Amino acid sequence: MTVNADSTFYRVVASPGGAIATVFLATVIFVAIFADWLAPYSFEIQNLPMANTPPSVAHWLGTDEFGRDVLSRIIHGARTSLKVSVVAISVSVCVGMFLGAMSGYLGGIFDRIVTAVVDLTWSFPEILIALIFVAIVGAGMYSTMMAIGIAYLAQFTRLTRAQILSLKNETYVEATVSLGAGPRHVVFAHLLPNALPPIIVAAMLATGDGIILEATLGFFGLGAQPPIPSWGGMMSNGTAQIFTAPWIIIFPGLMVALSVIAINMLGDSLIRALDIRSQVRPA
Amino acid sequence: MNYIRKTLNSTASLALVGGLSFALAPAAFAQEATFVIASSAVGAPSYYPVKATMLNVSNYLIYDRLIEQDEKQQFHPHLAESWDAAPDGMSWVFKLRQGVKFHDGEPFNAQTIVDWLALFQGTENQFMIDAIDKIEMVDDHTVKLLMKQPDPNLLFNFSSSFMGVPSPKAVKELGDDYGITTAVGTGPYKLESFAVGQETVLTRNDDYTWGSELSQNQGPAKIQTLTMREIPEQSTAFLELKTGGIDLLYDVPTDFLPQIKATPNLETLSLPGLVVMYMPINTSVEPFTDVRVREATALAVNQKEILDNIYKGVGAEAHNFLISSLAEANVDPKYNISYDPAKANTLLDEAGWTMGPDGVRQKDGKPLSVTLWTQGDTEFKRVSEAVQAQLKAIGMQAEITVYDSSTIRDLYKKNQHQLAVRSYDWANADILDWFFSGKRLGYPNISMWNDPKSEELNQKAMTGSRTWEERVANFKTYHEHILSQWLFAPIYQPVQNISYNKDKLRVPAEIRGPGLRGQTILDMEVME
Amino acid sequence: MLGFAAKRLLLLLPVFFAVSLIIFLIVHLVPGDPIDNLIRIGATPQQRAELAAKYGLDKPLFEQYFLWLANLFKGDLGDAIVVRRPVATLIAQNLPYSLTLGSLALLFSTFVGVSAGATAAVHRDSLVDRGIMGLVLLGSTIPGFWIGLLLILAFAVQLGWFPVSGARGWSSLVLPVLTIGLGGTALIARVTRVAMIDISQKDFILLLHAKGLPNWRIQIFHILRHALIPVITVLALRIGWILGGAVTVEFVFARPGLGTLLIKALNQRDYPLVQGCLLMLAIAVMLGTLIGDLLQAAMDPRSRDALKS
Repeated sequence: MTVNADSTFYRVVASPGGAIATVFLATVIFVAIFADWLAPYSFEIQNLPMANTPPSVAHWLGTDEFGRDVLSRIIHGARTSLKVSVVAISVSVCVGMFLGAMSGYLGGIFDRIVTAVVDLTWSFPEILIALIFVAIVGAGMYSTMMAIGIAYLAQFTRLTRAQILSLKNETYVEATVSLGAGPRHVVFAHLLPNALPPIIVAAMLATGDGIILEATLGFFGLGAQPPIPSWGGMMSNGTAQIFTAPWIIIFPGLMVALSVIAINMLGDSLIRALDIRSQVRPA
Repeated sequence: MNYIRKTLNSTASLALVGGLSFALAPAAFAQEATFVIASSAVGAPSYYPVKATMLNVSNYLIYDRLIEQDEKQQFHPHLAESWDAAPDGMSWVFKLRQGVKFHDGEPFNAQTIVDWLALFQGTENQFMIDAIDKIEMVDDHTVKLLMKQPDPNLLFNFSSSFMGVPSPKAVKELGDDYGITTAVGTGPYKLESFAVGQETVLTRNDDYTWGSELSQNQGPAKIQTLTMREIPEQSTAFLELKTGGIDLLYDVPTDFLPQIKATPNLETLSLPGLVVMYMPINTSVEPFTDVRVREATALAVNQKEILDNIYKGVGAEAHNFLISSLAEANVDPKYNISYDPAKANTLLDEAGWTMGPDGVRQKDGKPLSVTLWTQGDTEFKRVSEAVQAQLKAIGMQAEITVYDSSTIRDLYKKNQHQLAVRSYDWANADILDWFFSGKRLGYPNISMWNDPKSEELNQKAMTGSRTWEERVANFKTYHEHILSQWLFAPIYQPVQNISYNKDKLRVPAEIRGPGLRGQTILDMEVME
Repeated sequence: MLGFAAKRLLLLLPVFFAVSLIIFLIVHLVPGDPIDNLIRIGATPQQRAELAAKYGLDKPLFEQYFLWLANLFKGDLGDAIVVRRPVATLIAQNLPYSLTLGSLALLFSTFVGVSAGATAAVHRDSLVDRGIMGLVLLGSTIPGFWIGLLLILAFAVQLGWFPVSGARGWSSLVLPVLTIGLGGTALIARVTRVAMIDISQKDFILLLHAKGLPNWRIQIFHILRHALIPVITVLALRIGWILGGAVTVEFVFARPGLGTLLIKALNQRDYPLVQGCLLMLAIAVMLGTLIGDLLQAAMDPRSRDALKS
């Protein structure tokens, strides 16, 4: 199975869902990158007399309890939320792929140990793993990243291992081995590239879950450190003002939901475009 | 919709059949009420005050104390009819009230006091009676306490929830189960059931005739069954109150007050708070080893701005370390710490910290950048953000880090902190000893303050006072000295907001006591 | 099959030791200790030291570990330090709440998820498919605490159908079950849908069509029946979620449960209680994995062989 990047991209964008999701996510990423230029106001400078004002022409999405512009904070929050989730899942994917590939290819006692640990952590609720991890290393953006990364590590290890196992016996791999290729060459040059498509899709979907997990940690007061905004942190602070200033919690909540939906839609069109549906979703 | 719930022992097995209880809903207008306790007291594990380190409001209802305090922290007789201290403070005579019985029928008398105080030996709360050397029974209802050293604070201790008087006989019989499955006191309510972290069901003690002078009603309580629920999330608790699921909510966050005002059947009581929010300054690390920098930092905190904007004017500004209702808080005004940005800037200039181009001061090429630690609760984070902005205004850059309460204490002990936003909940001047004594550096002495003058004044206040008046004077001097050293910045004193359903509950207009406790609940009534 | 199961069970023993050690280390790695949650304002530094000694916290770490392990083998999980009850009692008190909520939510997710997934699979790649899967997805894209609050606002505050919070009676279960259930539906719907599409392309299904069986019979009795096997496997593996995954929902609805017990104990550094809860969850998870593997082995003999190699 080979992946032609151009045609895959074309097929994704050709489906209406994929197109909308791509445009939405591209916008969010663009806004996150250029937040400093795009945000109409500062995300941290307080303007207390303007606290909790409803949406208006000056502040499209209203202001929060410190009189800061909610729109500007959502724009900067996009940066935090995406960064946390993307970095966490990327690290998780890399480590998970390495562990899974080694485990799947080498087999034996190494495989047994990895599988046992992975099975155990995989079945633990991610939120518990993340909460325990944050208790150990303390709250903050980087520990949130690590917590999310560790919470999803098992999933990628498992997936890679399963992929490697199924590919290991393919004829071309056996041929390479019989030609005298070492394990490192086989794994990195032949097995992993072919195992990649389902992992990429799973990683995308996990990024969506990562955004939710970041928001949930934020709800427990364990997300990014103030005054840096994150969508989860904004929602957590907004809970208490749900009646007096609902816009503080509604808009970041909406962004979390929309982004996760978009990521899932994109993931689905990727699955369709790559025709790998059966390999990705069911564990 | 009012969800009248039959009281039910919610142990594990019954939880599964809980649905059946709906069939047993009692007749309307029964004298039943459901309160939700303060979220800070959620999870109090037991009702055995002698060994407890955390107690919730139900403990005030199950037990009576020898002495009660009122809203001005003054002492009133309860199980002790009167007391008298020798002029040298080395002995006390307590006359006990007659005719008082425990829930199990045992009499309350001088022997009770002897057996009860013996229980404190080797417990977490032993320090409360450490100054007592011996107890003599003068007669059946009189005891004499002989002291190792004078301790006028005995009065405060005897009025504390931790010195609610349990039946020594029941304590001995039940062993480890005491306070968990059963609790036997002389109070207006009996413990019916207790599921830790969830709810406590209390039933009226029909034999009760010994209410204190702080209640109108000295007889049995009017409300027959009280369910005290524990709800950790404050929005949820508020919504329960709004929908009639509960009748009274302790500790309503100021954010919800406008909503409560807008709901016609809800009423809010405001009592003076017992909490002070403040910012300790670590005096042992740069740049705060320089007293001028400490002073500038403390003067940069704008108490009024925080009160007006974060707390919408509900509560009070804090200008020293103690809650305003304590006599020791009434220090010479020149010691009080108030917002003064001009002076703060002058002090930093004098200390050699010059304003940099980016609005951050610097000295010898180093920016005036410090860490500001806080806990995860929304309220702490908000105040920290406000303080952060205020410090920025005098050219100090503070980076906020949020920790959970256990981690932060551990890190204080490792002396890695500079500034922190925190609060304490205590209605006695000895809190100064707790947070500033050289014996407890790191935590609780977060300011890492240890100097001979302070230790001497501390010693005098803690153990050198013979009478309550002397103690007040000594603590005031100690407090003034602490203030003069700029060890912290006072921020805010909250009030206790208690909201209730006024269509259902009749609550006395005047609350006698530091909080809404037994003496007031005795007077409460469910409307027929 | 029995031999296979026995072998898997034996394999669990070393895992159990490793897990107990990991749990112990994790718990003691967390900064802070329970004593600070035990002492009150006014306690002297000596009292602090005495308390630490009383709970054995002054002993070397490895000694504490072996003491704990030795007690475990006597069937004693120890006493919680801050909550002052036997750990086993606390777990036993909270377990029924977690089980009730978790299994009802799982039932909800399974029922709705399988129905949605099956309907979507039958109408594959049509608007119905997209619509259903989109709706199901919506539930899993909103953080649990936010769904919970929205449900309370709608059904408890506005409509007054259910109580806002608490754990008394079936009516108090509806909103928490919905909150968790909605979040889990998407996964099950997807698994069902994918499995059904896969199976519908198998030869034996094509044969059934050729034989002229009515389509609905094939869909329900042949395709769906086979598609349920991966669904059940996923469910068996997710037992950890049933027991401990409801922390947020328990918090919002003020319900007791194992997740809350664990997190609260962790915050108070109540070592024995955290260890007990984690160990209990780990054992449940290991058993869940075992059951999942056995199910898989029962339907696919190849994975049995894999274990022998």
